Amino acid sequence: MNAFDGMITGFQVALSWEGILFVLIGVIVGTLIGMMPGLGPISAIAIMIPITYGMDPAPALVMMAGVYYGAVFGGSTSSILLNAPGISGTVATAFDGYPMAQQGKAGKALAIAAIASFFGGTVSVIMLMLLAPALSSVAISFGPPAYFALMLMGLTAISSLSEGSTIKAMIAAVAGVMVVTIGIDPQTGTQRFTFGNVNLFDGFDFLIIALGLFAIAEVCMLVLNRKNRSLSDDQKLGSLKVTRADLKEMSGPMTRQSFVGFILGVLPGAGATIASFISYIFEKRISKNPEEFGKGSIKGLAAPESSNNAATSGAFVPLLSLGIPGSGTTAVMLGAFLVLGVQPGPLLMTDRPEIFWGIIASMYVGNIFLLILNLPLIPYLAKILSIPRPLLISLVIMFSLIGVYSISFNVFDLYMLLVFGALGFAMRVFSFPAPPFILAFILGGMMEQAFRQSMTISNGNLAIFVNSPLPLSLILIAFFSLVIPGLLKWRSRRKLANM
Amino acid sequence: MPLTINRRIALILFVIAAIYLFLSFQLPNYPYAPVDADVIPKGLGILMIILSVALFFSKAIETEAEKEKRNIPKKELLVLLAVFAMIFLYILLFEIIGFVIMTAIFIFFCSWFLGYTKWKSNIIVSILFPLGMYVIFVFALGISLPKGILPI
Repeated sequence: MNAFDGMITGFQVALSWEGILFVLIGVIVGTLIGMMPGLGPISAIAIMIPITYGMDPAPALVMMAGVYYGAVFGGSTSSILLNAPGISGTVATAFDGYPMAQQGKAGKALAIAAIASFFGGTVSVIMLMLLAPALSSVAISFGPPAYFALMLMGLTAISSLSEGSTIKAMIAAVAGVMVVTIGIDPQTGTQRFTFGNVNLFDGFDFLIIALGLFAIAEVCMLVLNRKNRSLSDDQKLGSLKVTRADLKEMSGPMTRQSFVGFILGVLPGAGATIASFISYIFEKRISKNPEEFGKGSIKGLAAPESSNNAATSGAFVPLLSLGIPGSGTTAVMLGAFLVLGVQPGPLLMTDRPEIFWGIIASMYVGNIFLLILNLPLIPYLAKILSIPRPLLISLVIMFSLIGVYSISFNVFDLYMLLVFGALGFAMRVFSFPAPPFILAFILGGMMEQAFRQSMTISNGNLAIFVNSPLPLSLILIAFFSLVIPGLLKWRSRRKLANM
Repeated sequence: MPLTINRRIALILFVIAAIYLFLSFQLPNYPYAPVDADVIPKGLGILMIILSVALFFSKAIETEAEKEKRNIPKKELLVLLAVFAMIFLYILLFEIIGFVIMTAIFIFFCSWFLGYTKWKSNIIVSILFPLGMYVIFVFALGISLPKGILPI
């Protein structure tokens, strides 16, 4: 099936009444959850998973994709209005968006953000449509060693790129794989670390980890910050009007940063957060008047906004074509696929074209919905920011508990949710990044399987990973992605010490 | 060598890794697999020990932002513990008393405890949310939630 036929199949899914309805639900829910300061796309997707039980996979996944990019879209609203980013991918949006809001131009800032997001999203969906099938057809020939190396590279990339200490990120990743080893080993039937407890035989469901580590941990942070401001009723939004001159000013950054964002989204480890920061710095560097940045510059707002949305669609490239998530959020997205019995990867395009192309096509539709929804409805949607924090906290706790209970009907899992919530909170307090943990948890089982398959093929000879060029080069990239940032830090410290 | 917070965490991690490694050496053997169930856990245990030693000797200094994150007043920590205790009680009782009643009680008291003083809207949300969720899950999605003592 070529891309053209594929897109026709995809639009049949996306433009059916069911498709349109679920894209719409997805983007609205995503936008609303993404707006809430503290709650990000990971929690949004995890909270929505139980709703999809019993749904057909195609509309369900189209909806989940909508939740994901809707959340990134919504994150910018609280960044601009409250200077409290809904998600980390919109931190850079606040640099110029919030000053604009303080100057009484909040409406204009929101409109610019919406247009830039729409542009970035659309450009990258077109690129996703071109790139994902090509990558799928290459990836079909990958053997277990290449897959293992690919996953290893994804894991090391996200560890080396997460904020803060690389050692702590690696510890989080190793701990994530350790948690996967709990349960019955699928290959030999050996019980590992179950202590004979029947509840642990199947290991932990990923939803327990995702909701615990993200939603419950976010609840803890919300409890601590519950007295922070929420939107007051009399805050003026100002006009939403964007002039032709504004459009001209933002066209440059929008076009450039859509591509930058897309490429960073495709690469493992990067994602919306890093993409938005890099785009912001990039535009500031090449700007003729960089002193305007940080004081309400239109360019400084448009750049990270188109970039973070482009990165979101870019992140679907490795997920759909290789079946390998490149970030914490796409790891949870992969979890959503697996819950619905769909294995993303090179075979998805041929086995389930309606899902592969349906998701891509739905993104066109979803981006248009987001633009229409956000421009006229911003003043009303922003009302959600005035939900009192205490009530929001109780409701998020309830959503998480219901979500976990409805997968297993097992109270033991609810206690485990509490345990992982406490762990997630401790990780935040002591600056251990959570995305490597969830990514390692999702990839861990697949990595172990690929490793053992490779060893079976080679009769236990580790040389299988270095004998052919593809696994070898991926392992080298994985190695250097860990070593180079460390070396750079070490060198800059030495320089500082010698000064 | 002062015992900084990172060093203390490193020591805890070292102990966890050692226990994990000990347990992975207890795993039974399965003679016909080229890579047995214990290989990956052993590797992970060793990796974690190396990483915890690396964290212990790492020269990275805590940034101000990281210190700030760690700086939680005792009173707030107690509030957080109380919320956890409420969740614990909820889990303990909700299969017995039922989803709707327990959820309503939880939302009301948790919101009230955290400082939501508008008790009228609190009562309305506390009643409508569990009823709405119950209807969606039980009747629309076919996922049964414990009905407990309520005859619905």
